Amino acid sequence: MESQTVELARWQFALTAGGHFLFVSLTLGLATVLAVLQTRATLRGGQPVHLRMVRFWGRLYVINYAVGIVTGLVMEFQFGMAWSGLGTYAGDVFGSSLALETVLAFFVESTFLALWLLGWGRFNKWVHLGVLWVVTLTAYLSAYWVLVTNGFLNRPAGHARGADGRLVLSDTSAMLTNPNALLAFGHILGGALLTAALFVAGVSAYHLRRGTADEDGLLRRSLRVGVFTALPALLLTVAFGGIQFGEIEEWQPLKAAVFNEDNAEVVRLQAEMVREFGPGNYVPPEALTRGAGLLMLMVFGVLTLAVLVSVVLVSVRRWAVGARRWHLVLMALVPLPFVAMTAGWVFREAGRQPWVVYGLLRTEDAVSHVTAGRMWLSLAVFVPLFAVLTVGNWWVLLRAVRQGPVEPEPERAEPTEPTAAVAY
Amino acid sequence: METLAVALLGFFFVGYVVLGGADLGLGMLLPYLGRNREERHRTVSAIWPLFLANEVWLVAAAGLFIGAFPTLEGEVFSGLMVVFVPLLAGWMIRDAGLWWRAAGSGPAADWLVCGGSWLAAGGWGWLIASLLNDSPTEPTSLGLGAVTTLFVLLLFLAHGLGFAALRLTGTPLARALRLTGRGGRGGRHSLLLTSLVSATLAVLAGARLPLSEHAASDTALTLIVPLSLAALPLLLAAHLWLWRLVSRTGFRLSSL
Repeated sequence: MESQTVELARWQFALTAGGHFLFVSLTLGLATVLAVLQTRATLRGGQPVHLRMVRFWGRLYVINYAVGIVTGLVMEFQFGMAWSGLGTYAGDVFGSSLALETVLAFFVESTFLALWLLGWGRFNKWVHLGVLWVVTLTAYLSAYWVLVTNGFLNRPAGHARGADGRLVLSDTSAMLTNPNALLAFGHILGGALLTAALFVAGVSAYHLRRGTADEDGLLRRSLRVGVFTALPALLLTVAFGGIQFGEIEEWQPLKAAVFNEDNAEVVRLQAEMVREFGPGNYVPPEALTRGAGLLMLMVFGVLTLAVLVSVVLVSVRRWAVGARRWHLVLMALVPLPFVAMTAGWVFREAGRQPWVVYGLLRTEDAVSHVTAGRMWLSLAVFVPLFAVLTVGNWWVLLRAVRQGPVEPEPERAEPTEPTAAVAY
Repeated sequence: METLAVALLGFFFVGYVVLGGADLGLGMLLPYLGRNREERHRTVSAIWPLFLANEVWLVAAAGLFIGAFPTLEGEVFSGLMVVFVPLLAGWMIRDAGLWWRAAGSGPAADWLVCGGSWLAAGGWGWLIASLLNDSPTEPTSLGLGAVTTLFVLLLFLAHGLGFAALRLTGTPLARALRLTGRGGRGGRHSLLLTSLVSATLAVLAGARLPLSEHAASDTALTLIVPLSLAALPLLLAAHLWLWRLVSRTGFRLSSL
């Protein structure tokens, strides 16, 4: 195997997954916020301000969806294209969770998203609300299945060695309740909610600062929703993150040793791994692992401080609307959860190198038997495409943000279309 | 259990080729059906947001392929990497165009939809040619590949035309009907015919894969197959609901 192929395949996976993660984390969190907003709008008998909130945040939510889905497609095909060694060796175990993610979660999520979009003003309001909840819950289900897959790679569970040396699934419930997957699931749900909460707060702050008309208090209310969601989301993220940190020493001792800069321990564990698995370097890339872990913790520190102060400021109406410097701070906070999410993911994934299935299969043995030239081709197509899509989509998203909560121009009615009755 | 897994995979794959082929074809026909901005806008609207519900069939098929036939999936996808790269790239470009158009971007997005549809359809042609070839894990030779690709492109165009006759109105509809003919209940018969041909082609191509020899272990299949089968009525019901909604209420590009 050409060593360059491995490096290129790793870059491609990292960039695909990283790009995917930037968008799905906001989608997942915003879906939750949106479902709660629409529930409130429905319960309150359709007060216009609540409905307008659902429309405005719903528009941003849907725009953000695009790249998450598109990069997700490449992720799915990439397993087979670039990492067929992984599928051959361990596909029997982790493939089933990927399969169920597509059939039970994504299939339903995507279909119901289309129903939700078409159902505006057409469905009974309770039906329309139910459809959005299906979208939200299947998004969670999707995250769960993906993390079952990822949890297995980080801490294999539920497998046995088959006759030909490959892994087979032997204990379904052990795979589905892998603590590594469940803890990461909780951590990411919290992180996604935090991402969305600070997005909502930052966008609202931008408009309040700019002096956008806010007669019915849509922006002020959204600001409160954002800040008051951020606090519990932060606590949830920290709780699950903290438990995971405690477990790393047992699950991936070298990652812990590298992070703690405990050189004696690194040397001892490396020697132990050589005795167990034969010669090789078992130390994950130190600067990257440690740097990513520290960056995540630093961002967490900044966010904790900012969110605590914000909770106080937002509680006083005069400050909530008038504290323009604080609005600027809130706007500056919007990118931070994305930084923390990405750093945390790098810490998780780079820190388990050189393994792709921890303790069982090395990354270099998992790559497909393709030439470096083909991998270059794939990289040369997808990386610029991801870059354009990401930048393009953020541009579309920011334009919608700048436009603010105005009603979109009504489309010219199609000849076949009956006048849409407003269900709310 | 293996037979059921093969049937499920086949069902989702055929479902995609029939449904996704129709919206790919419609995207390819954009320059013919829509001669000005307004008409192109309306033509693209006919795909939104149905394409979301159409492409999930392929996502599910690929997921089942990984889960139920993991070793074969790796061999086919890595062997045919040069075919999948343009296919996926076309798919991404097209979807980006559709999303951005719905979010109110300029008419340039319509051309992303059209160009991406051609690229993805070409990828499908090459993929189907490669599967029908001697070895399903190697890209086919240029000659056979070109002929099959041409056939698939024409098939998708015809299929998209039937779909257009069903979904469009006004001048673009008149242009579609000029090719399908006004008989056969306004293109419905032609759509049915192209659906059958597409489905047959998908089955023939898929049948070349040695699926049952490469099935996953019983434990894995016992997890995947019953759950997927149990979910199937729900999935189909959701799709029927969406189609009924679309056919009854017409469509607007953006409620975004």
